[in-house]
Amino acid sequence: MACGSTKLWNGEATWFCCGNAWGPCAAAGGGACGTCRSSALQAAWPNASKACWDITRPDLCGEDIPRRGCGSVMKVRHDCSGASVCVTVSDCGPRTRSFCSESTCCDDVCRTNRVIDLTPAAFSAIGSLSSGTLPVSIFE
Amino acid sequence: MSAYRTGGPLDRRRFLTAAALRGATVIGTGVVGTGALGAGVLGTGVVGATALGAVDADAAFAAPIRPLDPAVAESAFAEGRITGIDHDVLRVAGSYGDHFRVRVTGATSVWKARATTAADIETGDGLYARGVPLPDGTLAADAVWVNIVNLHATIRGIEKARLHLAHGQHEIVGNLMPERTSASYGGASPTADLSRLTIGQSAQVLGAWRPSDGSVDLVRVAVAPAAGSRR
Repeated sequence: MACGSTKLWNGEATWFCCGNAWGPCAAAGGGACGTCRSSALQAAWPNASKACWDITRPDLCGEDIPRRGCGSVMKVRHDCSGASVCVTVSDCGPRTRSFCSESTCCDDVCRTNRVIDLTPAAFSAIGSLSSGTLPVSIFE
Repeated sequence: MSAYRTGGPLDRRRFLTAAALRGATVIGTGVVGTGALGAGVLGTGVVGATALGAVDADAAFAAPIRPLDPAVAESAFAEGRITGIDHDVLRVAGSYGDHFRVRVTGATSVWKARATTAADIETGDGLYARGVPLPDGTLAADAVWVNIVNLHATIRGIEKARLHLAHGQHEIVGNLMPERTSASYGGASPTADLSRLTIGQSAQVLGAWRPSDGSVDLVRVAVAPAAGSRR
């Protein structure tokens, strides 16, 4: 799989920190894949493995998200600005089930349910960290 | 929540780079400086105006950088702790032993619990910076987020002035800021009404870390919608 143009999913993107880090993130560690770094263009995917799925449970929010394991590459596009970034799956997340029905909108576009968690480097490439969430489409 | 259409990322990048190279540096006043664009506009707020039009803080943060030259990476990124401030350059110790020099200009958007100016940046702060690499090795920052954290946590305690949060295996004190902290219930617009926060809720907390005591100033606490309101 590559950073292509085949639609995979859409929803909300959030951001998280991982790897060596400052502040409360100092204990984040390298994530489920052991390679996660806040400064790299990486992401957490809710179905990175069976064990991951059991934690995130996107199905409880109506999202039957396909499995894409560590090392999978995706393109994440901000649905309003059109900005995009290519990321590598390096962790498990977000915990979709904890925020079922949460929606993020911009202009006339709304996306519902957290389906991908981006590192600060990846999220900031397409939006502002202070927004917390973005409506995105995901391709591979 | 809204995102922003970004009408001119190329123009913004051009302005940023020119500002850094030509010395349009103004630290600490929120002033949009002179230099690349000729006469600047003096002001004291974060939102200013340039020859490119309004510089709205949120819009500027949201504007992704695209290169003028296809051979140049779209944007560069730096993170770490600020070890020193030399005029307009932040010296940053990265989390992996790397080092960065981040140049802040009048075109740089700065966030530290709110949209602010570079005057609020202190040695010891943590930083994420997005920008453009310059030939002198510095990163000309388009946007700088100081001490920002966005944590998935569980609410363990609620007091008048703070929340007690469990983040992984750690406890974090979240400071409620009068007239500043907002709550978002199920993705609805943020509100000052915090009364629907309850112990045991999963929450996404966006805030600013305090290096002095490790607590977090809470900007927004987002929780899931109530079960009955799920679509």
